[in-house]
Amino acid sequence: MNIYILGIAFSLVFLFTVVDLMRRRVLMEQYSLLWLGMGVVILLLSIFPQWLNGVAVAVGIYYAPSLLFLIGFLFMLGTMLHLTVVLSRLTKRTVRLVQEIAILKAELADGNHTHPDGTDKTD
Amino acid sequence: MNDAVVIIPALNEEKTVAAVVNSILCAVPAVDIVVVSDGSTDRTVQEARAAGAFVISLSVNLGIGGAVQTGYRYAKERGYQYAIQIDADGQHDPADLPRLLEEARQGRGDMILGSRYVERTAYRSSRSRRMGMILLSTLVRLAVGYPIKDTTSGYRVVNRRIIELFSSYYPFDYPEVEVLVLLHRNRMTIHEVAVQMKERQAGVSSINVRKSVYYMVKVTLAVGLELLRKRAIEED
Repeated sequence: MNIYILGIAFSLVFLFTVVDLMRRRVLMEQYSLLWLGMGVVILLLSIFPQWLNGVAVAVGIYYAPSLLFLIGFLFMLGTMLHLTVVLSRLTKRTVRLVQEIAILKAELADGNHTHPDGTDKTD
Repeated sequence: MNDAVVIIPALNEEKTVAAVVNSILCAVPAVDIVVVSDGSTDRTVQEARAAGAFVISLSVNLGIGGAVQTGYRYAKERGYQYAIQIDADGQHDPADLPRLLEEARQGRGDMILGSRYVERTAYRSSRSRRMGMILLSTLVRLAVGYPIKDTTSGYRVVNRRIIELFSSYYPFDYPEVEVLVLLHRNRMTIHEVAVQMKERQAGVSSINVRKSVYYMVKVTLAVGLELLRKRAIEED
């Protein structure tokens, strides 16, 4: 089995895994598009390795595999940036939740549910 | 219920929190006190509650910014007109509080800042600490456009506008300096008033030598970013 077949097999397994994760709702669609796109690119490059050579020549890269590394590296960079953005958003929401729950619990324990203007806010 | 609330963030301050609550109530009877326990593992919650404070106990540690913001959210929800911040470690003298509150009621500024350096007070600090302060003052002066003498003071009275602003955004950690720039960018005014500072009664400073480099970098970055932002804070 040569690297050509191995590449195609790997891409198919990767794509299948991503779709399976989406199917089981383990991976949310909004985050999976990135991985689907990546899987398709890997598959296409495995089937048509001459495309990589073509692009490499066109942009003046003499050693085509280094273009592959570049693409992979940039993709990882983008993904990680995206992940930290998502993480920041999650953190913000968690903080908000902890704060709201703590306030609610304190008010509940206090048994005081009225606004300063006398209106009931528990309706 | 009063129109002013004192927000006291506390993390494992069981020895001092009751004394702080009591001293505030003695100095200014006409304020409510809310103690935000930032995931304390000791008896801070019980001590504060016994002393007569309304206690909000965070189930996980959110850090100083998250804890303080909880107090502001509570103040906003309950319709308080003024919110006061004072450290629970006994460094701030509540005797100054009526004066600060009066300045706020007279509308001298959206935020009244209790400052160590406006006039000569009993407070002295180490050389390296003073160097840091001078650096921060310069930074804030560049960002804000007018001098603020005590940029790291956590002793302050804010009005309703700022309560609402802080409810939607409050800096995550080391908030004192960032807040000054944030307020300026949102067209809030800051007025400094001299206060007495006492030696810390218990606990350790949140800024030790090991953390000071991180502190300076973080604050500089925060101030720089604040200047790059649009004025209004979007609701998250």
